[in-house]
Amino acid sequence: MDGSSDNTTRFSRRHFLSWIITTVGAVIAAVLGSTAIGYFISPAFQRKEENWVDLGPIGTFPKGNPTKVEFVQRMRDAWVTTERRSSAWVLTSDGENYIVFDPRCTHLGCPYHWDEEKKQFLCPCHTAVFDVGGGVVSGPPPRPLDRYQNKIVDDRLYVFPKPTQVKT
Amino acid sequence: MRNNRRLLGWLDERTGLKKIWETLFARKIPESKGSVAWFYTLGSACLFVFVVQVITGVLLAMNYVPSPDHAYDSVRFIDKQVFLGHFLRGLHKWGATFMVVVVLLHMLRVYFMGAYKYPREVTWMMGVVILLLVMAFSFTGYLLPWDQKAYWATAVGANIAGQTPVVGSHVAKILKGGEEMGVATLTRFYALHVLVLPILTALLVGIHLFLVVWHGISEPPEKTNRQIESN
Ligand code: HEM
Ligand code: FES
Repeated sequence: MDGSSDNTTRFSRRHFLSWIITTVGAVIAAVLGSTAIGYFISPAFQRKEENWVDLGPIGTFPKGNPTKVEFVQRMRDAWVTTERRSSAWVLTSDGENYIVFDPRCTHLGCPYHWDEEKKQFLCPCHTAVFDVGGGVVSGPPPRPLDRYQNKIVDDRLYVFPKPTQVKT
Repeated sequence: MRNNRRLLGWLDERTGLKKIWETLFARKIPESKGSVAWFYTLGSACLFVFVVQVITGVLLAMNYVPSPDHAYDSVRFIDKQVFLGHFLRGLHKWGATFMVVVVLLHMLRVYFMGAYKYPREVTWMMGVVILLLVMAFSFTGYLLPWDQKAYWATAVGANIAGQTPVVGSHVAKILKGGEEMGVATLTRFYALHVLVLPILTALLVGIHLFLVVWHGISEPPEKTNRQIESN
């Protein structure tokens, strides 16, 4: 290529400069942009730490009927430690083996209650009915009531308040 | 390609895009070579750093709380836990330093080339106000991490303002939002840093750049006969 100062050659100085500017600009935009996007969406993928919560001595839970237990859960949420009031339904037939239900209906999350006469869980929102084991009797919920893991340590009942689904 | 043309043509008819593009980016600029040519890029460097500061600042604000009991923890959270948070905070911090340096260099080039003279006095005056705004950014931003350095630097800054004759003690009190530094100091510094200053700066930079385009950029000063002879 002769006459490099000639602006009419195929790859002129003007072309070269605008190519450089566009490329460098694109690299900067890519670095800054991907940093920004990563930073922005990362909280969505952060795992919340949950802890085992002490629900009290096992003697206090009546046998046969589910009991609603209120508890306070301390958890780290980003840069603060929050205290969240929460509850769970505790069911035991022998005082040794426990099932603990998440207190939210598996349809859209309404709090349900125990009907002593019918011996069923009733959800007020869209009239779902669950049996004592959490199975769906009628209504729109797609699956049985979710459960919390539980364990007994030194005769006290502990739950891990993270809902786990039960397969139908 | 042809469709692109059509789309551009359609937009141009309705917005005058082509004319705007030509006015902004295809305008004539003084011919210059070597280091002198580089000095002309300093204004664009200011604009670039400012844009970076705005982007990184907005992202930092998403995880920052301007309250004494959370400020420090939220900054630590950004540093330690948010993905790329440390890098982003670093960009904002270094950007703040560069901003002052680059704006001052730009001002020096304008001064030494005599580019502030008629008819560009208003461009210069806007520039002076922008420089003060940049200083205000630095001062208010430094407090936000609410660590020891931030706290005492601001305490000293407020005391310096307090030395002003007659009105000093009142200025210091207003700055701190009370007799002592505390909750109100942090919230007002935050509001200034993320609301008042960016809006004012964007507005003034807009006027500044409008004037730059309006007047065209000045030629490098000519050499006098004496300078030419002595070369
Ligand atoms: C955020 C801060 C600033 C930005 C983004 C900015 C941007 C610009 C740009 C892009 C130009 C075009 C010419 C060049 O780049 O040299 C310019 C010119 C100019 N700037 Fe600034 N500037 C800033 C701060 C200042 C300050 C602090 C002063 C002085 C106190 C100043 C005074 C001027 C003047 C007088 C011109 C006209 C120069 C000429 O026409 O040759 N600017 N500015
Ligand atoms: S939320 Fe319980 S039935 Fe709809």
